[in-house]
Amino acid sequence: MFKLTFLTPERKLVVDQEVEMVIVPGELGEIQILKGHAPLITTLSTGILKWKLKSEDQVKSAVISWGYCEVFPAGVRLLVNLADFANEINVEENQKIIKDSEARLANEFMNDLNWESVQRELARARAGLQLVNYPGA
Amino acid sequence: MATLKDIRARIDSTKNTQQITKAMKLVSAAKLRKAQNNIVAMRPYALGIKSVIADIAITQKISHPLMEAKGEIRKVLLVVMTSDRGLCGGFNGNISKFAETYLAENKSKYEKIDFFFIGRRGHDFFVKRGVTPIGYHSKLDKDISYDLAAHVADKLLKQYLSGSYDEVRMIYNEFKSAITQTVACETLIPIGIDNTSFSEKDNIQEFAVDLIFEPSPQKIVEQLLIKHFDLQVYRCMSESVAAEHGARMTAMESASNNARDMIASLTLTYNKARQEKITSQLIEITSGAEALR
Repeated sequence: MFKLTFLTPERKLVVDQEVEMVIVPGELGEIQILKGHAPLITTLSTGILKWKLKSEDQVKSAVISWGYCEVFPAGVRLLVNLADFANEINVEENQKIIKDSEARLANEFMNDLNWESVQRELARARAGLQLVNYPGA
Repeated sequence: MATLKDIRARIDSTKNTQQITKAMKLVSAAKLRKAQNNIVAMRPYALGIKSVIADIAITQKISHPLMEAKGEIRKVLLVVMTSDRGLCGGFNGNISKFAETYLAENKSKYEKIDFFFIGRRGHDFFVKRGVTPIGYHSKLDKDISYDLAAHVADKLLKQYLSGSYDEVRMIYNEFKSAITQTVACETLIPIGIDNTSFSEKDNIQEFAVDLIFEPSPQKIVEQLLIKHFDLQVYRCMSESVAAEHGARMTAMESASNNARDMIASLTLTYNKARQEKITSQLIEITSGAEALR
């Protein structure tokens, strides 16, 4: 038994469902987790999360922003800030966000905190577009 | 003595009021349900994050400035959470009164007590009394989201870390049930992680095995603590919003009942007056007829 639990503060997305594989966007790079993975605790960066439920053939995916991931012999637990599914992503808005934030990063003088939040938004919008445009990738 | 027309006008206007209060009650009931779902949805996340902080902090023997209480508390930041709108019974009054009493009692004990307001009502109450807040947020009822809570939490955190305050406390309405709310005063920072949740767990051995940390445990704990704090603020906001709708629902319910009683007694007066009038008219006619005979 290898189970996935995937939560945000606002929604319960996956609770204790058996999975074959989970790919998480770790802080230091993408990590693929299969059954029998060594116990691991890592923080997640903004990116695309993928998981394959045992009961379904398709690999599911969602864009997540900051989160944390815990791997135990019994399964994987993910706590993330925000999760967007492909059908919730507004392509035009994301394109606009990318354009705006790139312009801000290039032209504006800002402190570390603003810089970080703009970067985060940019990464989220980019990941969203990637999810919509290349669903299988 | 009011004329029949006056009484009828009063009955009509009371009926209108009753319709409004009834509608408001229904709206609050719907919003309350949504707010309650919010609280329930957040719980597993909150528990998860709390237990993992305790796990890591204990097994890896990590401490963080956010978790350590300062020796002597001299500067306190009070976060006062109210609603933006009234018509919800004692909801805002209780909070404002509590905060005022707290201020009066502890003024001499601490060097400085500052205010941060969430919600228009509390803000207006204290500004009228000459308090200058260091921060103010309103428009809570429209959309409380995790994003907003994180934004507020970030501001509070910066105040604390810069050393301006030794303690951050939150005064808010705790949601007990749809009809009861209690005023709660909690210490938000320093963050207290109780170790009991850890010792009760049987997977202590499991946790102690070689874990891979990415990045270092210290860094993970720091990030998790910040998230935990965001979540506390979000929780308080959700509770306060749920409590607000609960309070408004109760207030509107009793307002509707009062209107109903009022209409009943007014209708009685109206009918009495009407009958009196008929009686006096009949007497006039009969006595007129009598006189002609």
